[in-house]
Amino acid sequence: MSQVETEVLIIGGGIGGAAIARELSKYKVDATLVEKGVDVGQGITKYSSTIMCQGANVLEFRSEYHNSRLVWAGMSLMEPLCRELDVPFKRIGSLELVKDQAGMRHPEKMMRRFSNWHGKYLPADIEPLQFIDRETLRRWEPNVDKKYIGAVNDPNIAVNDPVRLTIALADNARKNGIKILLETEVLDISAGTDEFKVQTNNGSITCRYIINAAGEYVGKIAQMADADDFVLYPVKSYQAVLDKKVGGLINRMVLATGSGMVTPTIHGNLFFGISPGSQRLGKAHDHSTDKKLADAALRHAQELVPAISARDIINAFVGFIVFRNFEIGWHECTVGVSRWVPRFINASIGFPGICAAPAVAKEMIEILTQQGLRLEENSQFNPYQKAMPDFSDLSDEEKKKLIAQDPRYGHVVCRCETVTEGEIVEAIKRGARTLDGIKFRCRPGMGRCQGGFCGPRITKILARELGIPEEEVTKKGGESRNLLYKSKELLEAQQ
Amino acid sequence: MKLQDVDVAVIGAGPAGMAAAIKAREAGAEKVILMERAEELGGLLHQCVHNGFGLLYFNEDLSGPEYGHRFIEKVMDTGVTPLLETMVVRLGQDRQIGAVNTREGFITFRPKSIVLAMGCRERSRGALNIPGTRPAGVLTAGTAQRFVNVEGFVPGKKIVILGSGDIGMIMARRLTLEGAQVEAVVEILPYIGGLIRNEVQCLHDFEIPLFLEHTVTRIHGEQRLEAVTIARVDGQRNPVAGTQRVIACDSLLLSVGLIPENELSLMAGIQLDPVTGGALVDETRQTTVPGVFAGGNVLHVHDLVDNVSWESELAGESAARFAAAGKPEARGEIKVKAGRNIRYVVPQTISGRKDTTLYMRVSEPEETVRIKVGNITTKGMRAVKPSEMLKIELSADKLEKLKEGTQEIIVDCEKRGGK
Repeated sequence: MSQVETEVLIIGGGIGGAAIARELSKYKVDATLVEKGVDVGQGITKYSSTIMCQGANVLEFRSEYHNSRLVWAGMSLMEPLCRELDVPFKRIGSLELVKDQAGMRHPEKMMRRFSNWHGKYLPADIEPLQFIDRETLRRWEPNVDKKYIGAVNDPNIAVNDPVRLTIALADNARKNGIKILLETEVLDISAGTDEFKVQTNNGSITCRYIINAAGEYVGKIAQMADADDFVLYPVKSYQAVLDKKVGGLINRMVLATGSGMVTPTIHGNLFFGISPGSQRLGKAHDHSTDKKLADAALRHAQELVPAISARDIINAFVGFIVFRNFEIGWHECTVGVSRWVPRFINASIGFPGICAAPAVAKEMIEILTQQGLRLEENSQFNPYQKAMPDFSDLSDEEKKKLIAQDPRYGHVVCRCETVTEGEIVEAIKRGARTLDGIKFRCRPGMGRCQGGFCGPRITKILARELGIPEEEVTKKGGESRNLLYKSKELLEAQQ
Repeated sequence: MKLQDVDVAVIGAGPAGMAAAIKAREAGAEKVILMERAEELGGLLHQCVHNGFGLLYFNEDLSGPEYGHRFIEKVMDTGVTPLLETMVVRLGQDRQIGAVNTREGFITFRPKSIVLAMGCRERSRGALNIPGTRPAGVLTAGTAQRFVNVEGFVPGKKIVILGSGDIGMIMARRLTLEGAQVEAVVEILPYIGGLIRNEVQCLHDFEIPLFLEHTVTRIHGEQRLEAVTIARVDGQRNPVAGTQRVIACDSLLLSVGLIPENELSLMAGIQLDPVTGGALVDETRQTTVPGVFAGGNVLHVHDLVDNVSWESELAGESAARFAAAGKPEARGEIKVKAGRNIRYVVPQTISGRKDTTLYMRVSEPEETVRIKVGNITTKGMRAVKPSEMLKIELSADKLEKLKEGTQEIIVDCEKRGGK
């Protein structure tokens, strides 16, 4: 059992916790982030859609909500943040499709709101919306269903890889002095007058401030400290990733009221999902997919883009959107000091959490200051870092140069995504400890064969680099070992 | 060897690529290179330690490695140049190849002709969209085969296998011999997906339960697989309510079909057959891009390696001829179309002027039938099944029956006999 003392404890290594840690690293502060998983970004962050930056859909948000203000602020913060951390960010834009004249009422309202809110609630740098007619729609997106009579073009929507951003935020925070403890699960919290005593599976932590950014477990953590002055309702969403060979079916995200959305991803796949508008309550923490939801999502996606086929799905998963006021059909975030426990700050970002995260992090600095924490600037803070090489994205000349420097970049391990041994070794150097950890850093196994070919090879490389036997390699930590026995082990046990 | 002078480049050194490269050399191509991403020749044959290889080609019962070894020796003897640990990452419409390896780095060259022999891959869980959680312990049968036969690991001790493809049934036997308990082989169709001999020798002989018209409807377990739910399916392949049962297991192997690996072919602008998933070819195995040929599982999924070797030899020979002539022979223009109860026919076009073998599969099992190739020939069969590929040989003299100007030939599987 170890004893850790820290001024600020951040619980949860998802996009929220990582963004807060990175923001805090701009100051001279003794802060620690604990994550129960073996890696950051593996909770609901992993299950979120690829939309990083919102656009016209934020016009649906009510201006009086805290969540709306965070999302709007996040819209301007995301791109510069991605640039600092060398994380790709692509503004693909979106088209909200309109089926008939009656369907025009909603886009018209959005356009009106846009002009009223621009510069008031919405950041000044947001691009204006524009209505495109049937012909333009056909020309821009020939694979969108012919029944639509036009669309609202929103150039603001951007895609990225939320897990990569989370990893980059955590890496940058660590480099700038924040301690990050993985595989550290908070089991109990007792609140004293001046400090909290936090029990974990790895010993106890004493701290003065707690930031509860535990994602879907935010309620459970708050309960431990009797700081749960909110009720959350999880809503299940279903999302599917399609083969890159159909990645070019559309160029922009397309969506329609009552249907799901279909979007290209930053990696060139196609992605579809049922939006939270469909509002299906799920059992908390149950990330299993079910056939009804899958079938409905596919039907919705085909409404928008008829060429989408179940045959091209390479992976599907379930995410949660945590609604606070489900009964009134609206959702609010829970970002602020618990009304009951001073210095215990809940940071349950609302929907869409990815976009709001940078703004939540900035707000956290204000909240901590109000709670009495003195924050002095960290003059050593370095906001920049370099992403690891992405071999498949390089020009021929760059490929040649990289292989000449390190021949392992000439050894392609994952054929579907063209990932080299050099990248896998670099990912391990940067902290990957599991098959999923490598997959989310450089994509082997994310392609159409889903690791069938490269799985055994990556297992070998991981075992070699970590100096462990191959049968101890896990998919995602804990009990998720891939190979349970050595050859002949079962036969010997029977004798 | 200077890559600039290559006559024939073969992509992939499994059974198809090796046969094509050897034949290309034998047919007179001087510089033949055999490009392989793995560290040795032979492809998947190394992990196929069971027997049943070469019964037709060598008239002997060999294991996969033995069958492969005979070709590896011949590759060396005939003077083919292997280029190992080299991954082709690009194929242009002009036959320009881009490849990487650790020695030369990134290389580009343009051979006179190319044989595609990239084989196939297994369908994964994502393609099936099986509902449930995402634990460790769900893997394709072929990946499990590699772990057990090459790497020296056994994925688990309580196994369920979804799909009754050949690799799945062979792994059911293999894992039983390794001391694991195979709880069930679950097949959605009313008949098995692989060869009869594998059903008998791998399942029946080892008393492994086979559930036909069943499928896996749910995957359970957070970190490692804990159980699967299986259920009976109706005629539309939908699960029947009330027939679910939960089987505790730590591993689920998927043997649910193979997909020809044609990403490079698509890059080169080659047209694919939507049914086979492989290129559209004529009887020389030339694709729709001149000078690019294909053979083996990249073209259509075979059940016997012997046929892979033969077909690829044809592609290799044609590639050598193309490299020598520098221009395509007149492409076969007569379309060969799948008719009644025929799922596909390869090649999809023929010239009608030379001896040709048609490879085909039926859509549904049927008994007492006759395969009728237009008005050219018929062949009576006692029983046909989708899992067993059929071969019909068309000799040049039979093809003379074709009327001048014939544009298409339809292949039907007809019911035979009045009663």
